[in-house]
This record gives sequence, structure tokens and C-alpha cells, in this order.
Amino acid sequence: MKSKLWFLTKVSLSRKVKTKAFIIVNIILAVGLVALFNIDSIIKAFGGDFDEPYKVYIMDNTNVSYDILSNQITETAKTVYGDDNQTFEVTKYEKSKKEALNETKENGKVILLEINNDPTKVIKVSLTTEGYLDTLPYQILYQAINTSKTAIAVASSNIDPEELNKILSNIEIERVILDETKTTDDENMEAIMSTVFPIFILPFFMLTIFLIQMIGMEVNDEKTTRGMEIIISNVSPKTHFFSKLLAGNIFVIGQAILLLIYGGIGLLVRILIGSGSIINGLSGDLGNVFNSLSTSGIIDKLVYIIPLTIVLMLLSFISYSLLAGILASITTNAEDFSQMQTPMMLMLLVGYYFAIMAGMFKGSLFIQILSYVPFISAILSPSLLVIGQIGVIDVIIAIIVNIVAIYLLIKYGLRIYKVGILNYSSKDLWKKMFKAMKN
Amino acid sequence: MLEVKNVTKYYGNFKAVDNLSFSVKEGEIFGLLGVNGAGKTTTFRMIIGLLDVTEGTILLDGKPIDYSVTDKIGFLTEERSLLIKMTVREQAIYYGTLKGMKEKKIIERLEELLAKFGISEYIDKKIKELSKGNQQKIQFIMAIINEPRLLILDEPFSGLDPFNVELFKNEIVELSKKGSIIIFSSHRMEHVELFCKKLVIILKGKTVLEGYLKDIKEKYQKKNIMIKADIKKDELLKIDGVEEVTEKADELEVKISSSKIVDNVFKAVSKKKNVTKFVVEEPSLNEIFVSKVGEAYEK
Repeated sequence: MKSKLWFLTKVSLSRKVKTKAFIIVNIILAVGLVALFNIDSIIKAFGGDFDEPYKVYIMDNTNVSYDILSNQITETAKTVYGDDNQTFEVTKYEKSKKEALNETKENGKVILLEINNDPTKVIKVSLTTEGYLDTLPYQILYQAINTSKTAIAVASSNIDPEELNKILSNIEIERVILDETKTTDDENMEAIMSTVFPIFILPFFMLTIFLIQMIGMEVNDEKTTRGMEIIISNVSPKTHFFSKLLAGNIFVIGQAILLLIYGGIGLLVRILIGSGSIINGLSGDLGNVFNSLSTSGIIDKLVYIIPLTIVLMLLSFISYSLLAGILASITTNAEDFSQMQTPMMLMLLVGYYFAIMAGMFKGSLFIQILSYVPFISAILSPSLLVIGQIGVIDVIIAIIVNIVAIYLLIKYGLRIYKVGILNYSSKDLWKKMFKAMKN
Repeated sequence: MLEVKNVTKYYGNFKAVDNLSFSVKEGEIFGLLGVNGAGKTTTFRMIIGLLDVTEGTILLDGKPIDYSVTDKIGFLTEERSLLIKMTVREQAIYYGTLKGMKEKKIIERLEELLAKFGISEYIDKKIKELSKGNQQKIQFIMAIINEPRLLILDEPFSGLDPFNVELFKNEIVELSKKGSIIIFSSHRMEHVELFCKKLVIILKGKTVLEGYLKDIKEKYQKKNIMIKADIKKDELLKIDGVEEVTEKADELEVKISSSKIVDNVFKAVSKKKNVTKFVVEEPSLNEIFVSKVGEAYEK
């Protein structure tokens, strides 16, 4: 019977792998991932220099603002983009306004700041660009101008220069958290990770949906062609059930490994074409998020987060495949199964949304309890662990709950499966299934 | 030997099979007959172990049928049970391996059977691309690929032309000569009569008639007399025990209620001129079936 289990598993796997759809999908995935990892090179290959800094021309009609404002723009940009960043090139503009406007019109990267005295508000600033300016550079300039205005106002009040420096210097806050298990690094990461981690977990979400559909459709296919009667007359429903689970899970794990390989090829291509690190290649906000992650110590945490997440994901694959097999066995056609899989998709979505929302409801007992629930825990638990809302022990509890759920699904689900796969009528369906569970 | 002993099957409160008993010896071809919904398919499913019996026992060579003996069983379902996306070769390897056969042996046997049925060229064709008749042939080949000890055929001739019925029949007879126990159902009584030695007729799960076909026909009182003579229908119908007279080409078919009536009919016919035929025939299985099922319905 064991050899028949492996034979059924092998046939089931080869039926999936030898399809044109599998080959086409994997070609698309490989090309897509390699392209995604090299997206900046691809974009640049079509023209344009997206690393070009903003040229900030300051027309200082007050004669006292340029130094202060120039300094403030550089400092504010550093706090947002980091020390190495050169987003702004600040220059004192000495030519006429007409020439300044012409240059601004010709170059989309020029930001023209004209500063004039204002009797009521110290200074008055006009900001001119050729087109729209992104929100973040605008906010940086706005903050720098406001700070400069304060500095100019204080300076004009004849305050001692030493005193003026004290007033203008940035305040240093000593952050103290009484809970010893929490660090300030985690505090900074929490907001970022609550958004970023669900993105990393997205492939799991997609593979689970794939797994549910694959197992359901295959069981349904054999059932509707009545091939099931011949199969079950030769192997037990248990053997058949496990062959489907094995084949489905091996397939999605294989597909996940293929995705990693495609990603690896993407990185290799990146190195070969000399684009450097993926982090440097990402521009703007996302690049900063990755920079922050790599410097925050999160990498140390991944040593235990990754294995725990993998264990939870594997257990969730098994849970979902068990449930998909059981539900497929009691349906009589593919349309019925399509309806049946909706609640499973919903469960996955619940986990996904709670993982995103966890940062907004810090310390929520409800979300913590949800993180133990099978079918949801693979997404929610690692997300909460990353942002420090639960500990390793909570993830271990989630793993144990998953194992118990799998045991129960096998124990009672097999009884349903045995009756369900040879049932072709939807009449008294639930009655039959409950009866099967009791037997 | 296959033994079905006092088997009863309930679906909820519905009794699908009621205390059914029969036995089939090695090399025998057994017919399980009945109208639609009589319980034939349920009985087959219980024999093969797809359904549990509510009461009674089913034994093959004295042992209960479980997954340790299913390698020795061949089963042809009433509906198509082929995985239509597979090629004929893949399907044979799939079902053959599930029967515990080695791939080399499966291919040898498949090639032999495809040649017998004249469809060797379809070995690498997908099953969904084949005609209905050829799919039925493939389904039959899959059922006998392991040269089964017990072969169960649920309506094996559906969708087949007379030529292919003959091919199937020859293969079934050949298997029975090799010692296979063969049990099958069919709505077509002429097919059953062709090669079935023993049968049971069931109605609403209950046995209506059971035994060897020869004995059943002998015991069945009603006979048919085929007459060619200058005699009118009305004259024959006046004889006590004559139930029906039918004109068939230039003959008359006289149905009588008992073999005792034959003499009375003969006396009446012998008085007439141009008597060229007077043959007493056994009733057809179809007549016995209709009669017995009709009687059972009346009860």
C-alpha cells in the first residue's frame, strides 16, 4: 500500500508539472522576477537619469537668509534620507529673475526659491518649479524654510551668537522603555514592518490559494469522471487522500523554491550587469525603508523569525490542503468546489488584513488570540513577532495549535472523505457528513 | 468462489438491497439482472468494497474482500470511469500499477488487448479524443488488464455495436475458461442469454428469481409454440391455456400457460391442412424477466 501511495503521489505530481500551464506560468514568473530585481536598470535603459538631485536655486533678496536656509535644507534632508544622501544641490542664484525662470522652465529638477523680507512674517518665500513637486521634497523644503525663518527672526533680535546656537541646535531625547524585552530599534521598526512584512508574506498567500484550488480541482476531476470508483476499489480513501496532500504540498514547496531560485537569478543578473545592491537600486521611500531595516538589527531577529515562519507556513499548507481535500470530496462538481473555497480564501484574507492592521491596534488581546488560530497564524503570528507585539513563545503556541488542528482534521476529515468521494448527490449532504464524522 | 450471503444494505431508512444471496463458482459467468434502481450497482459496490454492507457477508475464495485482494479484481463501472486527460498508455499504467502490476507487463498486456480490439493506433491518444465506443473498449481493457480472478461488469455492452459486443463476449468467455469468476449486469437479455449460465433477478433489492438459466427455463411453465399451418388465430385462442397468439411473418406464435397445453394445441393443429411447422420453444429470458418482474410488482 505504501508503494501505491508513492505511485499515486508521483502521478499526481507529474500531472501538475507536465502541463503546458505549469511551464508557461514558470517562464512568466522567472522573467517577471528577474525583471523586478532589475527594474531600475530596465527603467534607465529606456532613458532618463532618476538619481539626478534637485537643483535648489536660492534668490536671497534679504541678504541674510541664504546661509541659514542652505544649511537647514541640507540638515533636514539628512534626517530624512540619511547622511550619504544628496537629494538637494543648493546654490545661491546671482543672475536675474528672468534667467532663473528660464532655467527652471528648461530643467524639471530645478527648484527656485525666492526669499524677500516681509514686515509682518519676517520673510516671504516663493517656490517655483517647472511641474509638480513630490510631497517629500516639498515637506523638507517647507520645514527648512520655517526653521530658517525662526533663526532669522532670533538673529535679528540681537541675541548672543552662542545663545543663538543653543536655540537653533536640535534637541536630543533620551528614550527609555521600562519593558526590558523591548528596544528603541524595535520601536522604530514597528511601523515600518507592519507594512513591509505582509508584502514579504504575499507569496505564501498566493501559494496557499494555488494549493487549495489544485487539490480541490484534482479530487473533483477524478470524482466527476467516476475514475474515483476504480481508484478507491484499489487503494483505500486514506491512501488516496494522503497522496493528494503529499503531491499538492510537494508541488507548492517546489514552486516556492523555484520562486527563490528565480529571485536568486534576478540578483545574480543584477550583480553581473553591475547595478550593485538591491537596496541601492531602489529609489525614494522604499529604498530608505530597506536601509533602515538593514541598520536596525532586524537581520539578527530573522535567525529565529525565518525558521518559525517556515514551520508555520508548512503546517498551514497541510491544514489548508486537508480542508480543501475534505471539502472537494463532498462537492459534486467543480462549480460547487469554487463556492466551497470562498470561506478558505476569506480566512487567508482575514489573517492578511490583521497582519497589516496589527500596528494600529498595539497590544490587542483579540489580535493576539487570532494569531494562535490555525489557517490564520502563518500570516499573523510572524507579522506580530516581527513588530514585537508577541514573543517566540506565542509563535510556539500557534505551532502547537496548528498541529492539534491537523490531527483533528485528519481524524474526522478522513471519515468525511471516505464517504464524500463516492457520494454523487447533494441531497442530505450535511446530514451524511455529520453521520460520517460520528462513525 | 464468490459468495454473497444474506446481504442487506440500507441508505438511511431506505433498504437498497434486501437479504440478497448468491454464489458464483470459478469459470462461471453470472448475470445480476434487474430494472433500473433494483440494487445492482449497490451490490457491485458492496462486492468490491466501495460500500460497507449493513448486514451479511461477501467472500471471495472464503475470505472477506479487502485491499489485500483487490489486485485480483477487475471492475467496469456503468458510467465512464476513465481519466480522460490521460493517454491510453498512461491510463493503463495508472490502473495497472494500482493493481500491483509491473509497467513492462502492463504494456505487453495493453498492446495485446488493443490489437484484439483493433485499436492499437490509439495507444498514445488522449482518452478524451476517442469516440464513445472506443472509450468503452478502453474501459473494458482497463478492467481486464490484470486478468482478474473476479471480474465485475456493470452494463458492459452499453454504447456498443453488435460487432463489438461479439468482441467483448469472446474476451469474457476466454477469461471464464481461464477460471475467472465473472459477474455482470445488463438490460439486454439477449446478451445475458448469450453466455450467462447462472443469474439472479432482483427487484427493489429483493431476489425475484435465482438459479441456472437452463433450470429456470425448464421450470418456467409458459412455453411458445411456433406454427405454420392453415389455422386461424381465433381457433387457437379458444383452446384453454392459450394466452396469446401473435402473427409473425407467415407463422403464428402461440403463448401457452403450461407445457401440459401442448398436446391440446397439437391436436387442434393436426386436424388442419398444410402443417409445415410445429415447434415448441423455450421462452426467452426477456419474457421470463418481464413476467417475473411484473409478478413481483403486482405483489
